[in-house]
Amino acid sequence: MSRSPSPRPGGWSSPGLNTPYDSGGRSSPFANGSSNNVTWASAQARSANVKGYTAFTPRNQGFFGKHFRRLSTSLPFSYGDKEKLGRGRGYQGNSRIMQMLNRIGWNLWRLRKPLGTILAILLVYILFYVTPLHRMYRRSSWFGGGSKFVVILAANQGGGVMEWKGPREWAIERDSVKNKKKYTQKWGYDLEIVDMSTKKRYAHEWRESWEKVDTIRNAMRKYPRAEWFWWLDTNTFIMEPTYSLQNHIFKQLKDITYRDINVYNPLNISHPLTDEYLDPETRSPIGDGKVDSINMIVPQDCGGFNLGSFLVRRSVWTDRLFDIWWDPVGYEQKHMEWEHKEQDALEYMYKNQPWIRPHVAFIHQRKINAFPPGACGEKGNDPHIHYHENERDFLVNMAGCEWGRDCWGEMYKYRQLSNRLNRNPWEKVKDWISDSVKARRDAKKKKEEEQKKTN
Amino acid sequence: MHFAMPPRKTSHPPPYAARNQSSLPIPPALKNLFRGGKLRTLALGILGFLTLVWLLRGSGGRDTGVNIPQIPIGSGPPVVIVTTLDPKADATWAGKIKKNREDYAKKHGYLTFFPPNDQYPIGSSPKTWSKVPAVRHAMTLYPGSTFFWYLDSAALIMNPSIDLQSHILKASRLEEIMITNEPVVPPDSVIKTFGNLKGDRIDFVVTQDKEGLVPTSMIIRNGEWAKYFLDAWFDPIYRSYNFQKAESHALEHIVQWHGTMLAKLALVPQNLLNSYATGPANPKFGKYKEGDLVANFPSCARDKADCANEHQAFFDILERKDE
Repeated sequence: MSRSPSPRPGGWSSPGLNTPYDSGGRSSPFANGSSNNVTWASAQARSANVKGYTAFTPRNQGFFGKHFRRLSTSLPFSYGDKEKLGRGRGYQGNSRIMQMLNRIGWNLWRLRKPLGTILAILLVYILFYVTPLHRMYRRSSWFGGGSKFVVILAANQGGGVMEWKGPREWAIERDSVKNKKKYTQKWGYDLEIVDMSTKKRYAHEWRESWEKVDTIRNAMRKYPRAEWFWWLDTNTFIMEPTYSLQNHIFKQLKDITYRDINVYNPLNISHPLTDEYLDPETRSPIGDGKVDSINMIVPQDCGGFNLGSFLVRRSVWTDRLFDIWWDPVGYEQKHMEWEHKEQDALEYMYKNQPWIRPHVAFIHQRKINAFPPGACGEKGNDPHIHYHENERDFLVNMAGCEWGRDCWGEMYKYRQLSNRLNRNPWEKVKDWISDSVKARRDAKKKKEEEQKKTN
Repeated sequence: MHFAMPPRKTSHPPPYAARNQSSLPIPPALKNLFRGGKLRTLALGILGFLTLVWLLRGSGGRDTGVNIPQIPIGSGPPVVIVTTLDPKADATWAGKIKKNREDYAKKHGYLTFFPPNDQYPIGSSPKTWSKVPAVRHAMTLYPGSTFFWYLDSAALIMNPSIDLQSHILKASRLEEIMITNEPVVPPDSVIKTFGNLKGDRIDFVVTQDKEGLVPTSMIIRNGEWAKYFLDAWFDPIYRSYNFQKAESHALEHIVQWHGTMLAKLALVPQNLLNSYATGPANPKFGKYKEGDLVANFPSCARDKADCANEHQAFFDILERKDE
């Protein structure tokens, strides 16, 4: 508060005389009635002005000066004891606002302990989310457990020697990578982006893009503490970044997966196996039925297994599966027939190698791999397959968009939709205002046009 | 005793001693917390308990799954001898083969299993493939046993006094006898058997004759690996591939291409498990000598009518031993 040392051209007022409410103030040392004389006090005040600060503070000037004492007695920074307050209360305030402020202040002071605790908790909470502390918490294996999960994102699929990428392909890839980066960072997972461009990797054979297996194995070596690995194709978009894998999938694994393929069986695989020579666990429709024995989680679309988004767990079983998955004899006999490579090979193995069945669980497709319309049906209204905005499905896989659909268009559409669905309340208010303004403007325009037409 | 003056205070005061001598260094702020009344300790106790519950939350809640009888491996007889028999073969000869195995099993407390070779879904593939599901079948029937010895019907156990476990299967013995760094397919396959394998990690014991791996006498340890190995080996893709030697070439193939299989394989000298009385024996130690565990007649397996004749001389030797 800057206080002019000389509030009136007339000179100094006598604080003691015109402030009836100042009961306990010390008497002013420079209270002289004459207004035009240069007094010792005014000279000092002027010199103080030159010095930049006042040597003394004239009290009880203006509103604050007049009421400061009474305010201060009721505020927490006054160490006023109850007696003083009592006296403060005894005065009849000249305004109701003052009384109210007084009461609020008094109540605040009375509740200082619980209020202080609440404020401290709030502060800690805010600090937890503002600083990277929450990421550390989510990542740690003790609390959040995020370091147990690795997302493997295939980038540059089909690129390399086979074809050059255009700006649209780059844009798709950039969006997809950004989406997963944000998601993994939020939940403390690891993200492994792998280059899936077609290469001649083995001298003796052309192993066209069968590198899924090698890639996951490399990731397993790179993240030795991770347990689950989530494979994602490029053309996928995580619609709900607020879902953690733990809450969305792994805490309810038993309820959202099915081991018995007869629940949904587009390939008509006969299950369970009935051969007498097999052991009871292999012949059981659901393996041993324990969650612990699930080593692979695969969604099924209308055409069978879908490896655009699937999960595998680090285990001895997985090592064996990855080892047997690609076999030159199988490749030689079937590579013309197995259009979808690993996916077909896995289906084949699931059918023909009984040891695989007890450890594979299927997940309802929309949990991790919802399709947009155009994949598995033009209308996009299959409740088991297609993305539902209202039910906030986790991920969209624009499977097969490169065959005659617009990948970039779909990616853009779903990105916008995801952003819109996950707005915070403030953004919602802003959007509501701008939308209503726009609507009004549009209505106006329409009216004008109609008028023009009628004219 | 008294003195005129109290003793002088020392001019070297002792250094400040630590206030608490307890071994647990608890910060004073925390100590003050604990110093409160009963209510406070109670509250702290509850808080601690809740923290514990919260920390252990993840590990709780075992699910039992479906009720599949669990018989621990190793609780049953240690070895099961599996021989597939052709139901069309001469009955007396088949009886003799069975007796040969049963005598040996009785002596050492083993079990035998003789499934007919046409009861498994082989399709049009050669009947020799039946050994693979037969071993899997034996594992289903005797889940408590540890080792499953498949012995072809063309082979005879010639020295029943040898105990399979101390002879081959003991971990230290296996480490001693296994042949490491040996081309899987004789003369010069690029893939060689692994060195530094631990005997107790070996799940598959097999021999090599002059031409390659021979699955006519092999030992497989019961367990998850066995299921994987047998099921992968029995994959229709290999059965329909027309390998020249059917399942033995398929075996060589999968073992060479898949590290998880080769890492469990121990190659042992042929005469320990599968000496040849006739046929292309391993030049180093493949020929049958007096005292070997097994005499195999691989040539008779191909044209089975001969087996009874070829075996006759050896049956005679065995009978003479018994007397």
